[in-house]
Amino acid sequence: MIEIAVASGKGGVGKSTVSTSIAIYLSRRKRNVVAIDADADAANFHLILGEDRWDWKKSYSDSMIAKIIEEKCIKCGNCLGKCSYKAIYIDERGNYRINPILCEGCLTCTLVCPVRGAIVREKVESGKLYRVNTKYGFPLISASLNPGRPNSGKLVTEEKELAKEIAEDDSIIIIDSAAGIGCQVVSSLAGANMVILVAEPTPASFNAIKRVHVLTKHFMQPVALVINKYDINLQMSDTLEDFAQENNIDLLGKIPYDESIPKSMASRVPVIELFPNSPAAKALINISAKVEYIIDNWYEWFIGHRPKKPEPYKPIIIKPAS
Amino acid sequence: MVNEMKVAFATEEKNGLDSIVSTKFGRVAYFVIVELDNDKKIKDNYIIVNPGGEARSGAAIKAVQKLLEEKVAVVVAGAFGPNALVALDEMNIKHIVLSGVKVSEALGQITDKL
Repeated sequence: MIEIAVASGKGGVGKSTVSTSIAIYLSRRKRNVVAIDADADAANFHLILGEDRWDWKKSYSDSMIAKIIEEKCIKCGNCLGKCSYKAIYIDERGNYRINPILCEGCLTCTLVCPVRGAIVREKVESGKLYRVNTKYGFPLISASLNPGRPNSGKLVTEEKELAKEIAEDDSIIIIDSAAGIGCQVVSSLAGANMVILVAEPTPASFNAIKRVHVLTKHFMQPVALVINKYDINLQMSDTLEDFAQENNIDLLGKIPYDESIPKSMASRVPVIELFPNSPAAKALINISAKVEYIIDNWYEWFIGHRPKKPEPYKPIIIKPAS
Repeated sequence: MVNEMKVAFATEEKNGLDSIVSTKFGRVAYFVIVELDNDKKIKDNYIIVNPGGEARSGAAIKAVQKLLEEKVAVVVAGAFGPNALVALDEMNIKHIVLSGVKVSEALGQITDKL
């Protein structure tokens, strides 16, 4: 089993385009592929593949919110002013209620409530986990979030566990991670054998790549790079290439700016299926073929590209004055 | 000199010394705690549930807190996140990166590092 995480730090640079292409290509080559859409805030893997139905779904919960028990509430109003999220309100019948979308589950209200058991903790559904056997021959694990519920590393971890349940020994798990370097991205990267960074030649994307790269060094992971829309800024594209070379990052390929990508997205058919002869699709197929080559020559590639020494990333901690 | 110590192994199974060491630390389901005597021989072992496994955020911090309560000296897992490393360092808990083998085998591989 090999786990490949696709990350970019910045959103909208082509993570999903790259990961769907690799997944489809490897699946066409009769490899066992399991895809994970680890960006539950804006899940789009299924949109690119044109999947509208799910074979399976499961409720997912990771948080508690407060609930007022009507019969026990004495309507003293203590909680009303204390909620910093303004989640407590009085309904038309004069009863105290909690708005489940605004409540963050801090439970300050339970501390100021004079009646024991009038405000209780209640588990709330955060979202749903999904699975579908896609028309391109591989299963996809995805997730969605309910309004007001945040994404979390736990959700990504559950998605990964689902993937591992259906994966076989020779499976390739492709994780399309979220943007940023937050909790859910840390969970996407943790345990991955290889990280593919996707960048576009812009200062914002370059900065984001450097930040994710710090995280990959922390996990001692070998890294590869894909430059998307490289021809919109050739000078910046060269800067990205230099960065890759300096840091022993394998440059998998460069994708030219090509309108066939937005067109294929609009028609909800992946670009390598719809416009296989377009310049972007050709570049994506080359990149996917390189990934397949890396998987077949794993040990060699791993030794050649893993960081030479551990560089643990330590966040800055502000300690209270003693 | 008393040199007894507890070593924790991150795992997804409840098979005691036969559990496989997981790649995860903060969000792993259980820890197998192995108590070693002065000669680094196994005296006892038991399983604890990792409170970080169910946490939405701050999983590693909760896991380290639990290990601290159990007075664990060394922890073994496949990968440690940024927050995990800071917390473990602060609390003087040693971490060893190792995964994919049974707890009993892992113990054999790390005895010289203890």
